[in-house]
Amino acid sequence: MANQRLGMTIDTKRCIACNSCAVACKIENNLPNNNWWNRVMTVGGDHLDAPEGTYPNVKMHNITVACQHCDNPACVKVCPVGATYKDEETGVVRQDYDKCIGCRMCMAACPYTGVRSFNWEEPAYHLDFSVGDPDVTTHQKHVVEKCTLCWHRLAKGLAPACVEACSARARHFGDFNDPDSEVSQLLSVRSYEQLLPSEGTDPSMYYLV
Amino acid sequence: MTETTSAAGSAKTPAAKFGGRGLNIGIIVAAVLTVIGLVLWGVQLSGGMVQTNMRNLDSWGLYITCFMFLVGLSAGGLIISSAPRVFGMEGFGGISKIAVWTSICCTVLAIGFVVVDLGQPLRLWELFAYSNLGSPLMWDIIVLATYLILSIVYLWATLRFEAGKGSATSLRVISVIALVCAILVHSVTAWIFGLQQGREMWHTALLGPWFVSSALVCGVALVLVVVIALRRAGYLQLDQKNVVKMVKLLGVFVCVDLYFFGCDLLTEAFPAGSGADIAAMLTTGPLALFFWIEVVGCAVTAVIAFTPKLRTNPLIVVGALLAIVGIFCKRVQLLVGGFQIPNLDLPAVVSGPALTDAGAALQSAGGAMVYFPSLLEFGVTLGVVGLGALLLLLGLKFMPLKPVEKSH
Repeated sequence: MANQRLGMTIDTKRCIACNSCAVACKIENNLPNNNWWNRVMTVGGDHLDAPEGTYPNVKMHNITVACQHCDNPACVKVCPVGATYKDEETGVVRQDYDKCIGCRMCMAACPYTGVRSFNWEEPAYHLDFSVGDPDVTTHQKHVVEKCTLCWHRLAKGLAPACVEACSARARHFGDFNDPDSEVSQLLSVRSYEQLLPSEGTDPSMYYLV
Repeated sequence: MTETTSAAGSAKTPAAKFGGRGLNIGIIVAAVLTVIGLVLWGVQLSGGMVQTNMRNLDSWGLYITCFMFLVGLSAGGLIISSAPRVFGMEGFGGISKIAVWTSICCTVLAIGFVVVDLGQPLRLWELFAYSNLGSPLMWDIIVLATYLILSIVYLWATLRFEAGKGSATSLRVISVIALVCAILVHSVTAWIFGLQQGREMWHTALLGPWFVSSALVCGVALVLVVVIALRRAGYLQLDQKNVVKMVKLLGVFVCVDLYFFGCDLLTEAFPAGSGADIAAMLTTGPLALFFWIEVVGCAVTAVIAFTPKLRTNPLIVVGALLAIVGIFCKRVQLLVGGFQIPNLDLPAVVSGPALTDAGAALQSAGGAMVYFPSLLEFGVTLGVVGLGALLLLLGLKFMPLKPVEKSH
């Protein structure tokens, strides 16, 4: 079987910026305090639901940003020990916490500011018990981590948590190398954008516009 | 160091005064600083790097700035000491051994700064077990290690040659290899930054040659300061014409470095696209202070270097120090400038846990720098610098680095 290129389409016309995907990701992966792998950004301002423009000519526009699982990832090239690597079979960009030496070269290389996060302190949690899937790799201090495309769920044939949680059904998950997949079909009928195409990274996250 | 006596004996021993209590006090102070630095590094590792002001948005800081700076100092020092021998020219009055020793100390410091920046220093062995040979950081580690070994071999070969052993040809061959390696080591350091398409300020082919020119500036300046200081302390004798020769060279290097900066700024700003933001950030924006210190400082150095009347010893030292400070300011601009402007033009990118409290405060205070080091970072840095000073002083005390007749 040909190699897959797993990724997502995110329909910006359907997204209502409810932040369900960000929260689902945080819970599913038992993310430490202050750590978000998937963030909903408001184009207009710093705060949730900030409008763009000045009254009365205002509009709201949101975009969710997580690891773009690039087909040509900048981070993979620069990692000195191969702790971040592209999985050949699925195209998912992965991160091996046990191997990471904490040099943060990948964070400097990634053009998508902030999708890679470094655990600057011993992971701490607001709850005194773990949440989410027990198969999620334990978080470590002083290593870089990021969206895994819910690798632990892919192994069980499930879609990533953010896709399932999306209340507006704006997210679709699938294989872009398979012309019959839902995501490929969506790309054939809708216009779409990738983030920062000029960087040449060719992300597997497509924003339907 | 069994050759100490013979080599020192052949020198004219003007250094009877040098070495006494002052040097010992210096060594003790440096050792204390080193120990304090080690303790603070322990604090950083156990309490977490959250105590630094680096965050996801500005994931490198003072340590990597110092790393860039010290690789430059060390490469410059070695180039200045090996080039005359390579091209068979007259040298700078036998200061080459001291230049090589300062450059060895700087290399050790540079490696030290990378190590304190790592989150998981205990996993350093992985660099050799799982090397990703495609990573510029891996290239740098290989070249830096080779370079350190080579400089030590070069120093050893020079000492042997001066003690009457070994041939001039073999020494010359070693100096050729050392020269090539010194140029390479700084180019590779530039590529750690220059090959990253995600950071507009870094992504330029000029960065390699520009790093080499900056290395020459601060390397020559450091050697100048050290030899003038050592001459004053009575450690060595050096004809003023050699000092003048080096000062003129410093002037040329400073001009080349400023020329490169001009070329880079023009190329960034001319299309008036996103590069214009970078030019504005440097000239009038948050990094303007560092930009103007560098430009004005280097220009003053050039004036001192090219005006015969101004080439007095105090002014030469001032000029050399201005050049060193200027190049350090350039490193700050490069490092912080790379992180200052996020690619994603979304306000929320720079808010939240991506930024430190210090960074957020600075930003809200009128678009200032995204990063300013914390006290802990200054402390660890001081400790690493202490280690370098300790090495330098121990070398001066125990190794035969004084110029002899055969020296370059």
